[in-house]
Amino acid sequence: MCIWCEKYAQGYERWYFNPANYARKLYKIRKEEAETSLEAVPQAAGGMSLLRQEFLEAWEKKDYAAMEKMKQEAEQLSWATHFGQVVTLEDTLKVIDMIYPIAIMTCLCRRSMLGLPDEENFTCIGMGAGMYKWERWPNNYRGGVQFLTPEEAKDIVTRLNKRGLVQTLFTFGTPYIGGICNCDYPDCSAIRSTLDYGIRTLVKGHHVARIDRELCNGCASCIHRCQFKALSFSASQQKAYVDQFQCFGCGLCVTECPQDAITLVERASLPALANVW
Amino acid sequence: MLPKITVDEGKCTDPLSCRKCLLICPTHVLGLGTKVGPKKFQEIPRDKFRVAGVRLEKCTVCLDCVKVCPNGAIQVSFNGGVAK
Repeated sequence: MCIWCEKYAQGYERWYFNPANYARKLYKIRKEEAETSLEAVPQAAGGMSLLRQEFLEAWEKKDYAAMEKMKQEAEQLSWATHFGQVVTLEDTLKVIDMIYPIAIMTCLCRRSMLGLPDEENFTCIGMGAGMYKWERWPNNYRGGVQFLTPEEAKDIVTRLNKRGLVQTLFTFGTPYIGGICNCDYPDCSAIRSTLDYGIRTLVKGHHVARIDRELCNGCASCIHRCQFKALSFSASQQKAYVDQFQCFGCGLCVTECPQDAITLVERASLPALANVW
Repeated sequence: MLPKITVDEGKCTDPLSCRKCLLICPTHVLGLGTKVGPKKFQEIPRDKFRVAGVRLEKCTVCLDCVKVCPNGAIQVSFNGGVAK
């Protein structure tokens, strides 16, 4: 079972359907010590916020034990504070129906990796009462936010899914979920940390893709949709092939298949995958 | 051995507007940071941004960033010497 569901679902089907997990306290005593952020340290830019210079130094020295320790610490820190889980479009739309307010803002990952200007980069959705802080203190929140109706939010997320971006739910102080990110490799720092370093700041979703080889006509239009290096094309069979242990269950390949040859199955229905996150 | 990327900040003055190196890098090694420390989401003046090699383990030393920089601000070193 998903360890976050085990801890935080409280009877709901999944932890992210539990409304309590969107109800973080809005006010707290402001911390006096310096805070870190993606834009703070050059090394932290572009998704290196979890691993600093020491990691690259250990890499140079081939100090695998030190690297492993830093990776594990980074993963634990991320799970406690700020991590994401892949969700299907269908589940994302259900979440949008649960929570208010919803607002859209600039994506910090793509801003730091590509320097994208805001007008091309409003792809990050913030949720919950925390969004009012952006309205109240515009000087603290560069670029601002644009509040959305649930219908507008659903429309935007659906269009981003069509464009090929993966929907993920992110915590801000686990278990409080505050964002729907729309991510892609290689500019999403969470996908990159997860795939390139094995630090699971983004964990797999509740589904796994399955390809019906009878229905698949080998058009390969699904292959480019995978952001997780799980889909490939079998040259000998001339069909799409999915590595189900690598699949994050986002469903992007499913929505693109013109033959309806790909379906999502529940991760829990496959005993050997049920605990692969 | 990992490559090293050094950016002369005297020559690279407005990377957020230019961003040629960020966009040309085939493996997205470079990232934007700032010289002013933690500012959360606050507005940061454009001249306070800087480019740095972030994902150095993905750098192939192709030197595309060196060639594309209009100010000659980027240098890539590999195995102890400046790559040319």
